Amino acid sequence: MLASLIYILIFPGFAFLGVFGLFAEFFDRKLYARLQNRVGPPWFQPFADFIKLLGKEEIVPCDANPAMFTLVPVIALSTVVAAFLYIPLWNTTSLLSFNGDIIVILYLLTIPTLAFFIGGWYSSSLFARIGSVRAVTQLFAYEVPLFIGILSAALLANTWSLSEIMTFYNKSPVLALFNILGFGVSLIALLGKLEKVPFDIPEAETEIVAGAFTEYSGKFLALLRLTLDVEMVAGAALLAAVFLPFGLGANPVIGFIFFIAKVLFVIALITLLRTVFARLRIDQMISFCWKRMVPVAILQLLICLILKGVIQR
Amino acid sequence: MSAEESIKKELTEAFDFIGEDKINIQRPGRIFIEVGQENFAKVFDYAVRQLKFSHLCTITGFDEKERLAFMYHLTQGPGPMLNIKTSVPKEKPVIKSVTPYFPGADCYERELEDLFGATVEGLMPGFRYPLPDNWPKGQHPLLKDWKQDTSEQKKG
Amino acid sequence: MHNSKEFKIPIGPQHPALKEPESFSVALRGEKILGVDIRLGYNHRGIEKACEERSYVQDIYLIERICGICSHAHATAFIQAVEEIAHLAVPERALYIRTLVGELERVHSHLLWLGVAGHEIGFDTLLMYTWRDREIVMDILADLTGNRVNYGINSIGGVRRDISPAQVKDVLKAVDKLEERTKYYIEVATEETTIIKRLSGVGVLAYDDAIKLDAVGPTARASGVARDVRRDDPYAAYDKIQFNVITDTHSDVYGRTVVRVKELMESYGMIREILKKMPEGPIAIKAPPRRIPAGEAISRYEAPRGEDVHYVKSNGTEKPERVKVRAPTLANVQAVKHMLKDRFLADMPIVIAAIDPCFSCTDRSIAIEDGKSRKKNVMTWQELHDYSIKWHRERGFDPAEINRKFHKTMEGK
Repeated sequence: MLASLIYILIFPGFAFLGVFGLFAEFFDRKLYARLQNRVGPPWFQPFADFIKLLGKEEIVPCDANPAMFTLVPVIALSTVVAAFLYIPLWNTTSLLSFNGDIIVILYLLTIPTLAFFIGGWYSSSLFARIGSVRAVTQLFAYEVPLFIGILSAALLANTWSLSEIMTFYNKSPVLALFNILGFGVSLIALLGKLEKVPFDIPEAETEIVAGAFTEYSGKFLALLRLTLDVEMVAGAALLAAVFLPFGLGANPVIGFIFFIAKVLFVIALITLLRTVFARLRIDQMISFCWKRMVPVAILQLLICLILKGVIQR
Repeated sequence: MSAEESIKKELTEAFDFIGEDKINIQRPGRIFIEVGQENFAKVFDYAVRQLKFSHLCTITGFDEKERLAFMYHLTQGPGPMLNIKTSVPKEKPVIKSVTPYFPGADCYERELEDLFGATVEGLMPGFRYPLPDNWPKGQHPLLKDWKQDTSEQKKG
Repeated sequence: MHNSKEFKIPIGPQHPALKEPESFSVALRGEKILGVDIRLGYNHRGIEKACEERSYVQDIYLIERICGICSHAHATAFIQAVEEIAHLAVPERALYIRTLVGELERVHSHLLWLGVAGHEIGFDTLLMYTWRDREIVMDILADLTGNRVNYGINSIGGVRRDISPAQVKDVLKAVDKLEERTKYYIEVATEETTIIKRLSGVGVLAYDDAIKLDAVGPTARASGVARDVRRDDPYAAYDKIQFNVITDTHSDVYGRTVVRVKELMESYGMIREILKKMPEGPIAIKAPPRRIPAGEAISRYEAPRGEDVHYVKSNGTEKPERVKVRAPTLANVQAVKHMLKDRFLADMPIVIAAIDPCFSCTDRSIAIEDGKSRKKNVMTWQELHDYSIKWHRERGFDPAEINRKFHKTMEGK
């Protein structure tokens, strides 16, 4: 009982994830700034922002549904933290694991987007409504290539359990190289999930202020921002676990350092992508996802199917 | 003959009410002409359609004691600038809109309405410009007898 | 949101996409724009009226403050009109210096625009890069004139500061550097896929519409209308300088970008030529007159955003009878309305930004609170204070209570 509480609340649960998420935000922002020839924030900036926001007044719009409006940040944060508990850290076993957990992770990572939609919709601001509708429209576009990309890797490993996928690739790392297309597709889809340039359409500042978050303030906004940070870490960790299965099974300390390095590597790739692109329009984004990314993802699926046939022989 | 001279010639030939003395070529590229309100529409139409003055730079309003005057600055792109001036009595400051020729003149005419108190006939419905919506009626700041009364002056 | 429901969203007066207060009321169906109503006037400051109450010398500085970006454009246009009325022969060197500052200002304004355009389409990296390089030209302007903006270089009958040979060298060095950077931006802006996707086909203004709606500057030139006051109605030293009027036939935001970046390259060439051809001599006439004889003049100036028109009428005294300013943005506003129709909401920021709007230029005159006729409407400071307290109290927050608590704790100490 006590052990579970520690797992959930301290490591690798809320406390660790919160700190790591905020650190990841700093890493992202600093790298983004350096790539743009700026100085960038000091390391404690995201922490300071978080603490400051906690102390600010919360305003719930008169027309908003107060229950929905206030519940959404909590739901969003708890689902991403729950998703993280299924992802292995320094070895191939995660805290919670069963056959099929990879599907659960993907679904848990979808819930925040739906939560943003509900929050934005119930805050009854026009900007928030447009933003939330955009978030959901976008969801249908990037989710398919993301699922195909990640699940084709699982297909090759012949299991629905993330731990077993990792064990499989750890045994034969060469096979992981065949998933490079899937990695690319999932990485780009992850940009959509995290609402980052070029897919930051739901919170396009110059069009709809802050999208679904427009009416949020104080504690709720702090939680929403933390959710996005944790989501970034969880998404990066998921990609790292599936596509970068290296350096596992050594001693925990080295494994843990490897884990952090891999997550930061994925985040660095995300940052790099958002530095070099302009924001797309929602129609362009959807046609890009369906016309370019889905075919590539299906190609990856075919590669995995053929490869699997070859191996089984 | 320079472009200015030929424009002058064409105008004097087209309208017998425009004498030589009414057209002033101030310097190369600047033609000033003054016409009465009753003839303005004809001259303006001739300038736009026949002389191909395709660009309306702006409209300037003047407060000339008893009368309100308006100057329309037209150009052909490259070439001279034609400035047509006309005036109306202050008691009945009604002019026709030139938006049928230049839809872009909308803002210039709204400005005349707000700042000089002119009435422009034929403007499409729309927001006023540039004064705020709660500006008191009958206050037209660019009229010469309008004096600003700032809060600072009130205190003093 | 692909239902038939229409709704209106307010873009402005306060909105992240707008750098100045202006109100666009957008009727939407889903993501599609049905129509736009534009309300201008939030920046009305009464400059035209104020000019009539000040002397010509004071007016130069007042008019320079119409706009922070094209300040030299306004000041020069005004002073040219005054000099024309007074028949002043401005020394050649002064004209060259005015032209030089004007072109440097165009460089700074176009670089600024490129950054803003990048930001509007969510490409912040471009913003950071161009604004970093814009600092080079800002430093040069500060070096030449003493100010980063509102240069104050003009005076009646000339300019106030001369250029030393050392400064000429600095300018040339800076121009070389900027040219190299601009070549890179041309590459980025014309070849980066996401940028092209966001810019081409957006905010189309056909040739005929550009003429009909009186568009000016790069907005018109991108629609193939070869109008440039520098060539059509030369002023300062532009009749002695070689340059091309850049036009483009894309007629969309992409075309406007191309026109602006190419104009940058054109400006660099012009700056070099100005510095080469600049004659020696005085920089201002001796004893400029305080009284300007009665007369009138219109002056046109090709500001970075387009044609800037100033009309000045004098009455023989120290103060002008009438000053009229028409900034380029006002001429382009109607075109924006046309460009936005049937576009997507996502295109709105970049379409508005593509005319390089400068609303404080656009709204000049009046708006000083008027006491006599609407005493009841005017709130005194005390009334405003009371009103705000009442407003907060109705919403369950009492500032007075906090004040009391604060005083109590202070007394306790």
